[in-house]
Amino acid sequence: MNGTRRGLNRVLLGAFGLVLIALGALAVLAGTGPDFAKAWTRTGTGWWARIQDLLASAKIPGQDISWWTLAVMGLLLVAGVLLVCWIASQGGGRTKQLCTSDDDAGTTTVETAVAGQAIKAALADNKQVLSTAVQAWELKGGSGLRISLQARKGASPRELMAVLDELVGGLDVLLGEEIPVLIRIKAGTRSRFARTERVT
Amino acid sequence: MSQTPFMRRTGRRETHSPRSALSIVTAVVLLAAVLWLALELVLSATGNAALLIAPAELMQRTASLGTATVPAALTAAGIVIAVAGVAYVLTAILPGTKPRHVIENPRSAVVVEREVLASALARTARTMARLAPEQVTASVGHRDVQVRVHPTSGKPVDQQAIQEAVDREVSGYSLARALKVTVVVAPQGAVGV
Repeated sequence: MNGTRRGLNRVLLGAFGLVLIALGALAVLAGTGPDFAKAWTRTGTGWWARIQDLLASAKIPGQDISWWTLAVMGLLLVAGVLLVCWIASQGGGRTKQLCTSDDDAGTTTVETAVAGQAIKAALADNKQVLSTAVQAWELKGGSGLRISLQARKGASPRELMAVLDELVGGLDVLLGEEIPVLIRIKAGTRSRFARTERVT
Repeated sequence: MSQTPFMRRTGRRETHSPRSALSIVTAVVLLAAVLWLALELVLSATGNAALLIAPAELMQRTASLGTATVPAALTAAGIVIAVAGVAYVLTAILPGTKPRHVIENPRSAVVVEREVLASALARTARTMARLAPEQVTASVGHRDVQVRVHPTSGKPVDQQAIQEAVDREVSGYSLARALKVTVVVAPQGAVGV
């Protein structure tokens, strides 16, 4: 769970796919139809000639380059910055602060590590849980807490949830407020190789 | 069950792919192309030699690409590009379901991996039928569970009882999407387990 903008990812990937399909279709048409290929070259050369006229007509005084070239460079830079923003929007949103509260005496901040250590300590003796990871991420108006645990092979999700419900209830009392909680019960390499707990 | 908007949203996000990996790869490739083009523009504007190809020549070549290339190569390249485009569009449209199930819980958003469910159900079936771990396998799908039982030779198992036990266990999980349980007993018994 993080702050990835998933809709944006899908829209941009879909748009990129459509552009690729259009380019591919053009290439296939030109490869299979000589008439289309000739038309491509005719139109392309015509456009290029017009672009060159345009470039020549807007020369920067005293220089050999055109204002248009400068504008294209600017556009490329903007596109580059937008792409970097797209990359940066993946993941992220993690926070070290679980919750803060303001009152007359000042501001109280509870760090994620507090909840993390409490939860890990509580689950350390549980034979059905192989490992626990706790993380917080930013939400609108606060933080959410994610508890990931690796279950032992054959562990019943119902029994795990009974333990976790109690744990989250304890956390609510500890923090004095109900923060959003995500629980992820996973299997993993450790679950695969660890032996089944026979006596439960 | 009182599911808050946070839980519904989180459950949906946890069970579907964010498409981050492909987004990052695509963005990095496009970024490299954009930076290269910008660099070539700067090089040609300052009168330096081009890195790979000068922008003017690139435009020239693109303009006459239709006739300057071998048609078969053009067609092949076009097909490859179009197929990649279709793959991208499918990635954007398809749900990209992750192998996880949502457990309804009044307090927390809970997701559990299919593998965890499968091993828990296999254990339930195994305990009911008094078999060794290797004799029972379970696989969990999007909306169904298949439990395959390989009984010990000469000791028939009670399929009905296993079915009931697994059904009871599944209904105890309060999964958001109900799972249909199928128990398959192998016709041949195992020897030496």
